[in-house]
Amino acid sequence: MSSHIGTVARKEFEDAGRSKLLWALIGLLVGFVAIGYVGIWFADDEATAAEVLTFVGLPLQIIIPIAALIAGYMAVVGERRSGSIKLLLGLPPNRTDVVFGKLLGRMAVIGTAVVLAFLVSLVLGAALFGSVPFADWFGFAAVSVLFGLTFTGLAVGVSAGVSTRGRAMAVVVGIYILLVGLWELVTAGPYYLIYDEGPPVEAETWYLLVEQLNPIAAYTTLMNTVVEGQMDVIMFRFGLEDFEAMTMTPAERYAGDAPFFLQDWFSAVVLLLWLLVPVAIGYYRFQNADL
Amino acid sequence: MAAIETSGLTKTYGELTAVDGLNLTVRDGEVFGFLGPNGAGKSTTINMLLDFTRPTAGSATVLGYDAQAEADEISPRVGVLPEGFDIYPRLSGRRHVEFAIQTKDAANDPDAIIERVGLSAEDAARPAGDYSKGMRQRLATGMALVGDPDLLIMDEPSSGLDPHGIREMQDLVRSEAERGTTVFFSSHILEHVETVCDRVGVLNEGELVAVDTIEGLRESVGGGGTMELTLADGDAGRFRENAAAVAGITEVVATGRTLECTVTDSAAKAGAVVALDDAGATVDDVRIEDVSLETLFTALTNGDGEVGADTAGTAQSADATTGAAAASSEVSE
Repeated sequence: MSSHIGTVARKEFEDAGRSKLLWALIGLLVGFVAIGYVGIWFADDEATAAEVLTFVGLPLQIIIPIAALIAGYMAVVGERRSGSIKLLLGLPPNRTDVVFGKLLGRMAVIGTAVVLAFLVSLVLGAALFGSVPFADWFGFAAVSVLFGLTFTGLAVGVSAGVSTRGRAMAVVVGIYILLVGLWELVTAGPYYLIYDEGPPVEAETWYLLVEQLNPIAAYTTLMNTVVEGQMDVIMFRFGLEDFEAMTMTPAERYAGDAPFFLQDWFSAVVLLLWLLVPVAIGYYRFQNADL
Repeated sequence: MAAIETSGLTKTYGELTAVDGLNLTVRDGEVFGFLGPNGAGKSTTINMLLDFTRPTAGSATVLGYDAQAEADEISPRVGVLPEGFDIYPRLSGRRHVEFAIQTKDAANDPDAIIERVGLSAEDAARPAGDYSKGMRQRLATGMALVGDPDLLIMDEPSSGLDPHGIREMQDLVRSEAERGTTVFFSSHILEHVETVCDRVGVLNEGELVAVDTIEGLRESVGGGGTMELTLADGDAGRFRENAAAVAGITEVVATGRTLECTVTDSAAKAGAVVALDDAGATVDDVRIEDVSLETLFTALTNGDGEVGADTAGTAQSADATTGAAAASSEVSE
């Protein structure tokens, strides 16, 4: 019994490669980077390439998740609704091959898009600012690829776990709004109710862990460890949390030596969890579903 | 070894029972037509054979493998034309066939497959999203043929095809059967299956109401058919009651000079002529048509499709546990 994951993934990549929507997303990603570079070059030619890199990272934390979620949320449920999954499962590939083949295929698409955007930034950085901080650039690119794959995994996991397109969209949009729009409310809100004050810089450990679990915050934390500079998390604020604390990583906010789960490197684990847990849940539900 | 064997196969959706304790055997090498009206549970049964849907109770084997636990052993050996499928709109028809060849690790030539199902090379190069329903059906049929499967499972293969396409589909089924392939296919239209099937099973409301050869079904219909009597003088309606009173005639429709009688017993034909003569009518012409299986099919599937076992056609239906044969006496509304 051989695995068909690779065959499904290749077909998937080829199929997705013909999707105008995905090309639009790639264009958006590459375009933002290009516009960012040229814009800064016009506005401030004193800026170093490293500073520009940080500046470009700001929109990426919004565009990468949105692109990955759009690329992934229909992966499995779309085929289920159209019926092409019956054609696929009538052939030797089984449900495992379908979920993981789709996951790899969509990851390859998003990975390619992010790598393309960073290649453009490499070329523009060299052309407009003379030097390219290669180590920073490479680290930033690697972290961004991981960030893109995380959200692709989340989306494909949701797609495998639900039975209608509407539900897939609702769950994906709901998670994104939670992470970007409501995060402070649902984390600092309870903190305020429990302790009668918003979280200070040195907040309770449980709160710092919860903060650490936001994948977008995890991305900026990793960013700030690989790139010289400071990138803040873009999210909707409710003024509950200490203002100064917003620009600090959980490790910096912890008095004394931070436990392992508050260390900066743990952010990479957080991203992997956001990839693996939804895929595991979606896979389990898909295995047991009537198609 | 049976190509397909189900035992007490049941699927319920909440209150609704889609398939109810199905016991069905499809023998190796035969062409088996799975008949029933829309909603009878044909697709649900096929979906359970393919592990698309999990049974509520009972079990099924396909080529000797458990349909649920050993599904991975089944799929490389069968060709599947599912119901309600779709193609990948952005990929070419040829790429679809190539994909099937890759997954089945088969040695088929994609162009030969495409030609066999009646698609042109130009069509095969186009994205399949541009295809008509019939072309999609042909493409999926081609994918099912990849790897020379031991068993073809086709759910409503004639849907979306024009009469010409249906004939081609029947030829294809015949030639596959000659190669020794077992063919199991469903249809809600009897005439699409009667010319190619060795045996048929009739499903109604989730239950198997008949399993027999086409000949066996015909025999059980007996000499039944319709008889059209043209009378010499004007109003045939006057003699309607006389004809209807003859034993073995179940329905009489009078139109102008003609009486159309539904006959379930051969002897009734002569009886009708005698009865009309006795009543003073002059019979000008008699036209007799053998009952179509369609009539039987309708009787079996119109809800109260209860069938007697007394005229149970041939021994071939021995493996069917529920009402194994069709009885002519029930061919009535």
